[in-house]
Amino acid sequence: MTSGGVQFAFGPGVLSSWWDWLWFHNQTDTSTFARGVDLVFFYIFWVSAAFFVLLMVLMAYFAVRYRRRPGVAPEPSASHNTPLEITWSVVPTILMAVMFVWGTYEYLPLKIAPADAEVINVTARQWGWEWVYENGAQSRDRERIADMDSPVFALPRGRPVKFIMSSNDVIHSMYIAAFRIKRDVFPNMYTSQWTVPKEATHRWSEEMKQFVPIQPGANNGYYMACAEYCGDQHSQMWARIMVLEDADYVKWKEIQASTDDIPLLVLGEILHKTKGCVSCHSVDGSKGTGPTWKGIWGTTEQFKGGGSAVVDENYVRESILEPAKNIVQGFANQMTSFQGQVTERELMALTTYIKSLSAKPDDLEAAKAASDAEMEAKKKAAEEATNP
Amino acid sequence: MSGHHHESYLAPRETLWKSIMAWVYTLDHKRIGVMYLIATTFAFLLAGVFALLVRAELWEPTRTIVDEATNQTRVVGQFLPGWTERGLPVTPNNAYNRAFTLHGAIMVFLFIIPAVPAALGNIFLPIMLGAKDVAFPRLNLLSWYTYVFGGLFAVWSLASGGAETGWTFYTPYSSTTNWGSTTAMVLAAFILGFSSIFTGINFVATVHKLRVPGMGWFDMPLFAWAIYATAIIQVLATPVLGITLLLLVLERTLRIGIFDPAMGGDPVLFQHFFWFYSHPAVYIMILPGMGIASELIAVHCHKKIFGYRAIAFSSIAIAAISFLVWAHHMFTAQTAAFNAVFSALTFLVAIPTAIKVFNWISTMYKASIALNTPMLYAMSFLFCFTIGGLTGPPLATLAVDIHLHDTYFVVAHFHYVMMGGTVMAFLGGLHHWWPKMFGKMYNEFWGRVGAVLVFIGFNVTFFIQFFMGTQGMPRRYATYVEEFTSFHKISTVGSWILFLGFLIHALVFAHSLVAGRAAPKNPWGGLTFEWEADSPPVEHNFDHEPVITHGPYDFESVVPPHCSEQDFPLHPAAQNGRAHGH
Repeated sequence: MTSGGVQFAFGPGVLSSWWDWLWFHNQTDTSTFARGVDLVFFYIFWVSAAFFVLLMVLMAYFAVRYRRRPGVAPEPSASHNTPLEITWSVVPTILMAVMFVWGTYEYLPLKIAPADAEVINVTARQWGWEWVYENGAQSRDRERIADMDSPVFALPRGRPVKFIMSSNDVIHSMYIAAFRIKRDVFPNMYTSQWTVPKEATHRWSEEMKQFVPIQPGANNGYYMACAEYCGDQHSQMWARIMVLEDADYVKWKEIQASTDDIPLLVLGEILHKTKGCVSCHSVDGSKGTGPTWKGIWGTTEQFKGGGSAVVDENYVRESILEPAKNIVQGFANQMTSFQGQVTERELMALTTYIKSLSAKPDDLEAAKAASDAEMEAKKKAAEEATNP
Repeated sequence: MSGHHHESYLAPRETLWKSIMAWVYTLDHKRIGVMYLIATTFAFLLAGVFALLVRAELWEPTRTIVDEATNQTRVVGQFLPGWTERGLPVTPNNAYNRAFTLHGAIMVFLFIIPAVPAALGNIFLPIMLGAKDVAFPRLNLLSWYTYVFGGLFAVWSLASGGAETGWTFYTPYSSTTNWGSTTAMVLAAFILGFSSIFTGINFVATVHKLRVPGMGWFDMPLFAWAIYATAIIQVLATPVLGITLLLLVLERTLRIGIFDPAMGGDPVLFQHFFWFYSHPAVYIMILPGMGIASELIAVHCHKKIFGYRAIAFSSIAIAAISFLVWAHHMFTAQTAAFNAVFSALTFLVAIPTAIKVFNWISTMYKASIALNTPMLYAMSFLFCFTIGGLTGPPLATLAVDIHLHDTYFVVAHFHYVMMGGTVMAFLGGLHHWWPKMFGKMYNEFWGRVGAVLVFIGFNVTFFIQFFMGTQGMPRRYATYVEEFTSFHKISTVGSWILFLGFLIHALVFAHSLVAGRAAPKNPWGGLTFEWEADSPPVEHNFDHEPVITHGPYDFESVVPPHCSEQDFPLHPAAQNGRAHGH
């Protein structure tokens, strides 16, 4: 990531001059809005820079030219000049009127997505993102960003996508700097934003059987981040955006959509990350917002306000679907319900995965066996279906 | 109280006990101002420590070490590792989140809102108007005690673990997290609001009723105009914050759904209420700084201020427009038409602000500029505030704000206005009025060294943050991607230079109090009434009610009071209309 100079959060661009610091290096045409926004910014920048230099040069010149000389009285001068004062009121007003009109002109299209835009449903939660594509696909690709397993999302090049967003808990804000888009995400209503990515960043590699950057090092895709402060791991809600050509994009979505052929144990491990469990529940015994899963299977949890339960299939199911029902002592009531967001098979997968993390080797064996048995049964059913 | 009228207001009483009680029960606006100065300085130090912690934390993008026991990498706290809450360790992210929340909340509510009006304003507004005291001296004392009471709640919040909601307390995060500490911090802000309202009422009445006979509105010093405009905002806007925070506390304690959608409330409603106060509050913070800048520039340039009426009216215009722009904090949350209206209204504020800057720099034309510490600060103010002002339009422009909203660009803009503007002006004002307040001169050389270090440190810390913002670095981030590391490192180094500058100032002031030479009555050749009074002034400010014989900035025709014509000669062209201050 760091080879070849300093790189920036929006993805591509190696810093080659001070100029790149100012705004976006070779990044002004990444989405429908980027170029327009950048032009308005540069207009404001040059107007401001001109005023700033003028004022500071005058201030410095006056400070030297009219510095105090003992015993010398300053020469009288007017303390009021109507034409001058009108000029310096009217000129900035006109310059700013242009900023307003141009800025609003570039902004309004952002609020109106084309009718043929592909809809991606976005759910934000403390602390992670979930994108559900039209075919039901959710990303299972992960990348470690800012010390957190973060999702990798794909977008099609040259086609409009509309994000319809809601939050499971507090306010978040979905921000993709390279596309110059940002919109708050609320728990009590849907908000939306849209974009057309203009440059493909990744392609399918047949040799490596995965999606790889087209210009590795120079453009590894774009960052997405949460821009509205939402608590503990607000700063770790990063995601990677890769832009694919149409054929690759369809292929990516198909790969992500099918989880049926993934063994339960493997699927459980994937879901632990993709469903955001990982942000609170560690699997290595380290302390988090929620209890660690390591060695939890078969133990007895003590609840706040009395009561206890053994961690078994039913307890795991209840904890996922009705997390607020019983709170384990020493932890806060933080988790939101996953009712309707996980399938029965996914629940089984998570249970199997948690079981495999148990302290007892027997449980790991049992989880493996259950996972394999289910795959066998599936295979058998599929064979029967094709050879009746 | 009789018998003390002709002594310095700082003079001790017969016994130590009486001296202490004389401060505890004092109704003297100057003593109350000094008490505010001490309290707000303490708040500044506290919030400053959190700022240094925030910057230290951001030295590295993440806090990862290898755990020797398990040989796995894991995130750990870099500072405050032992911070626990109800027996549980606070995660490193949360340690950072608390640090920036406390930095913001303490700086805003306990330092920058009261610092200039309630400390310097309290001491100098009545003197500048030729009055013996403020209109309601008892209310003035009550406002100080209310401030301290509110401050105790902030300390309680701090001691009980600290709030972690950001100083903006956005719902529903603030209504669902960290019960005790957040409630305490919200109550602190609520109580401090009352203190602010009391001060505002007092100053409005003082300006209206206590100007010395013969002093018209346009004979007032510009500092008084600025304090007046500030006081109006304090009286009109702060109650909205009060009711908003009260609703928040009611929601938290009684579970009434107002802002929390889980109980049927609307979180955006909170943002409207909050910013309806907090945007005008930004002008509560900057207007007094602008007032100080006007005084510093006029006196140390020894020049009649250019466009007096334009500066005075622009203060009032800024106060009025400040009520109409609150929703520009919510461009990423609102509909298009709504945003367009508030974008346009926001640009309106920029115009009177620009006019002020043009006037200040024009005042330096054909002036007699003394480059001492207060003037260096006035020029720092002009430099930083101009940057702060010019980085406002990108944020008012809708298309650009969508990208920059909630990034470091906003952090930099805000600090350029608040710190580069108000704090620079405050430090300039502190040096300017120090001889008057305490009767001692400070060391000019080391004062200048401190001013230069603060200027350099400030710009190193915050200028780079504009670039971080344009590159897409969101604010309030404990952990970031490594592309930003070098930016953050530069910024952190700047914070150390800044700290060194403040340390030098603290030493210079301490040295002045202990060993400074006695201050003359008018060390800078000022023309406003405080320079006619003793240094430090007597209990009721003047031995005789002062008489207004000239305008506050008539440097061309008046030799300043207690000054000789050798030091401040009049230009031959102005000799005809000559006058002499008394």
